Amino acid sequence: MSAFHFLRALSQINKTTPKSSLLLRSRRIRHAAYASMAYTAGRSRLWSRALLRRLQRRSRLRYFSSQRTRAVIAPRRLKAVRPRSGEPSRAEALRRLVPGGAGMDYCSLLDETAHYIQCLSSQVQLMQKVVGSISS
Amino acid sequence: MEPTRSSDAGSGNSGTYTPEIAESIRFEEEIQSLMRENTMHPGLEPPPVGGGGSSFTALLGLPANQAVELLHEPESEESPAVAIASASGGEMWRFRLRDPKALTLPSGCSPTFPSNAALVERAARLSVFATEDSPEAASVPSHSGDRSTKPKAEPADSDSQPICPIPGERPQRPAKRKEADKGNKVKGPAKKTKSAEEGSAKGAEENTSGSGEKLPYVHVRARRGQATDSHSLAERARREKINARMKLLQELVPGCSKISGTALVLDEIINHVQSLQRQVEVLSMRLAAVNPRIDFSGLDSFLSAECGRVTVGDGRCGGGMEQSAWMEATAVNEGRRQQQQIWHVDSVHPHPTPSVWERVDSPHLFINPGTSLFGYDPSNSVASLHSNQLKTEL
Repeated sequence: MSAFHFLRALSQINKTTPKSSLLLRSRRIRHAAYASMAYTAGRSRLWSRALLRRLQRRSRLRYFSSQRTRAVIAPRRLKAVRPRSGEPSRAEALRRLVPGGAGMDYCSLLDETAHYIQCLSSQVQLMQKVVGSISS
Repeated sequence: MEPTRSSDAGSGNSGTYTPEIAESIRFEEEIQSLMRENTMHPGLEPPPVGGGGSSFTALLGLPANQAVELLHEPESEESPAVAIASASGGEMWRFRLRDPKALTLPSGCSPTFPSNAALVERAARLSVFATEDSPEAASVPSHSGDRSTKPKAEPADSDSQPICPIPGERPQRPAKRKEADKGNKVKGPAKKTKSAEEGSAKGAEENTSGSGEKLPYVHVRARRGQATDSHSLAERARREKINARMKLLQELVPGCSKISGTALVLDEIINHVQSLQRQVEVLSMRLAAVNPRIDFSGLDSFLSAECGRVTVGDGRCGGGMEQSAWMEATAVNEGRRQQQQIWHVDSVHPHPTPSVWERVDSPHLFINPGTSLFGYDPSNSVASLHSNQLKTEL
């Protein structure tokens, strides 16, 4: 299922983006990878919802981007993830990694991390297969 | 179907517990098949037949399993099935609850049966709790919901049974019965049952009442030698939950199971997530460099048909099938360059996709009862939507 969406997005990127801009293409492909991953995971997962929200926000801003909005996006406000009590100190780093991790309690954070790792690894496998079959 | 089965078993054997034992065996087989269908977690395989004997004897050593011995006596030829089934239940329970006194296995093997549906529901829910996977979590209630609709008459019949349980069978009624809700993570007030009679009566009622709905309470009993404070009990429940999930994470991350200590395991998990994200970046760069040769003209309809078919089976095998389909499509399309116009999209790539998601996602907020890894199947609507888009663009 995720392969379907990803491959279709890949073909769209192929047709629309010029071959010269490697950076732009790679960024769009990465966007498509995360998007198909989150889309396939569904709305019932916290991380997928947060990831979709993040991607949509970025894409919408880029689509309607002008000089002014670019100046607004550029300074990223890094909200400090305050160290919560009753959990190990390394949990902050995990919160920053997993999308939507800041708003979860530790218990659900572990749960979401497990599912996120599963989806990430299958997405990586899919992309490896695609690259492998293209280059061979 | 159930009465005929029990009558068949009853005709061939003698003994007071025979029909119930046959039913229990059927329950265990159902549970086993349910577990085999639903659990895809690597740490929880379907119970090995070879290991059934050893765990069965281990189960025999437990104090709360007098029912198993009772089962063992009259039905000697069916003991392997019981062994395997009880081993599966035992494995499942032991995986989650570390305290052997707290095993609630007798609920599956005891001669008193609260209800078929309740049993399957609990076992399924607890296998869900072990695997900690939402597609299965939502798949299980729907799955067991199917089962609970059929034997509606039976809970009414067997309801009378657990109210007067055999007193000899439940001296140590299971200490820990966690009916924690899996779908929503709301922690209801933890209710502590400390007396044995209260616990057994309540347990029977909970079993029957919890068959159709999800219980918001976490029922925990204080163990011997531990504080019975409400705060500490809730904390202990929370800690157990966290430990269970850490175990699952350890199994997911390769090379993490030999590490002891939470901080190091967390470090490993963080490293693994970072490495996966870096791999995604690298692979996207490679794809961007290599990509220009792909052609996807006939792929869309083919894959949408595949998606409609592939609802059962894990995501990996689905991905493999799609992969082979894609490779075939690329091989075929080498000579059909003129069909590129089908894929001509005149808008920026990120723009149509969010609207597509918003339109498609709203009717599909729940998870498929299939066992796919991601548990999401909007294939029909997506396919029609995209074919509509294609038609308008042509």
